[in-house]
Amino acid sequence: MAMKPSDTDQKLRKQRLIFYEDDIGRINKALENYQNLSKSRCNMLIDVEGHPVTQVGSTEGINLETIAALVAASFAATKEVAKILGETEFSSLTHQGKNESIQLSIVGDRTILTTIFDSQDTTVGMVMFYTKELVEKLNAIFNEIKSRKDSGKPIFNDDFKDMSGVLDDMFGDV
Amino acid sequence: MVQINFAKREINCKLVYYGPGLSGKTTNLEVVHKKAPASKKGELTSIATEGDRTLFFDYMPLELGKVGGMNTKFQLYTVPGQVYYNATRKLVLQGADGVVFVADSQPDKMDENLESFQNLEENLREQGLDPKTIPMVLQWNKRDLPNVLTPEELDAKMNKYGAPTFEAVAVTGDGVFPTLKKLAQIVLEKLNREYGLQNDGPGGGSAPAKEPPKEKEPAKAPAAATPPPKKPAAEPPPAKEPVREPAKAKAQDDRAERERAERERERERERAEREREREKDRERDREKEARPKPRDFNVTPPAQEPAKKGGGKGVLLLLLLIAVIGGAVGAGFAGKLGPLQKHYDDHLRQHLGGGTPAGQ
Repeated sequence: MAMKPSDTDQKLRKQRLIFYEDDIGRINKALENYQNLSKSRCNMLIDVEGHPVTQVGSTEGINLETIAALVAASFAATKEVAKILGETEFSSLTHQGKNESIQLSIVGDRTILTTIFDSQDTTVGMVMFYTKELVEKLNAIFNEIKSRKDSGKPIFNDDFKDMSGVLDDMFGDV
Repeated sequence: MVQINFAKREINCKLVYYGPGLSGKTTNLEVVHKKAPASKKGELTSIATEGDRTLFFDYMPLELGKVGGMNTKFQLYTVPGQVYYNATRKLVLQGADGVVFVADSQPDKMDENLESFQNLEENLREQGLDPKTIPMVLQWNKRDLPNVLTPEELDAKMNKYGAPTFEAVAVTGDGVFPTLKKLAQIVLEKLNREYGLQNDGPGGGSAPAKEPPKEKEPAKAPAAATPPPKKPAAEPPPAKEPVREPAKAKAQDDRAERERAERERERERERAEREREREKDRERDREKEARPKPRDFNVTPPAQEPAKKGGGKGVLLLLLLIAVIGGAVGAGFAGKLGPLQKHYDDHLRQHLGGGTPAGQ
């Protein structure tokens, strides 16, 4: 008998981030423009769970997945600090190093813009200046994504039935 | 929370190892990291104290491969087990798509197991997740120790939602992969159920409930013990689904790669150019340093030569000194701030002068 998803599951499904190629194209365009203006090295968009969404710029020497997980955790921890201080959240965070620095800015309520920049190329002020403009642009894109009707299409194709083979390949036939 | 990225044909899921302190969560992750093929795993990152107790979390990405046409990735986390760190445990649990609860099988650890499980339920509910429906697997760890509770006893005390259970000795790796394999399977089947309902149709879906209750699988249980796979989606995504054809996708990827490489080269050229400019600035500074000291200025600027013949020699020298130092400082600032100032000026011109900002 088919199981009906619970209310919690339905709610989760509504909150779930689904990106299509067109969305990523628009986001990347906005990120590239921002990157040129701010003279930053690399820009990533990650979700608050720490999954990378997309990135532009030079990512050489950067482990994207790890940095995404750490950035998301850092943001989550800081959000709790904000709450203790009576704020809902801190909308941006900057970590400054001798050469490389990173700025995090919340976009919408589910994603974090991560800007990595070289202090010889630009300044925190310049990055922050252009971030405001970008966040507005991205918010508009995200609002469209959010308001889009769920296509109801399956994610997986017919090959899903071979999942156990994929699992066996990874974890062994146990 | 699962992120579905059709642009990359990718699914990202977050799996969390939960349980009391020293039950073996980090050891589980270390074993997965050790045993997983190098091409499928990322770095294992630990935010731990000096005594190797997890302070915030351990993390590693694991790429499962193509499932139903989607490249499937798992992000594996462990929480800090110690009671004191509940705030950070909550953070790590945020948006989890599945949980492995690692319990210590020793009788004197039962209270800690129960307290941790209750804490898990509370934290899940606080985040709007339902402990009954979230994909979960229980692992009875440390089976190699003497006088441990039997799986039946552990099950009766802890498994209130009928989750699949596995016996394990994480330090030797026994039972670690079967536990994770099962959770991965449940998470993906749940996702497929959620997004395949329309295709299943009334009565057509054979989707099982969360999991058949009370499924107990010892570490070496055969794969056949797993529940029957869910009926797959009836048809592949239609053409209007934003799925790129392989050839087209490859061409686009190649183009994007070329563009990226070009941008990178451009950036390198700009960096080199900036470095050359900086070097020139430094050279100019060195030259200025090497110039005659103020007291010799009467021989340097030819334009000032006639003036030195006039009266008030001391005043003239002072004025000269101020002018030269002022010029040097100004040139230094102009050299350093010139590009940034120009950049700001350009931007202000674009906005205030009626121009359109680049790229808009």
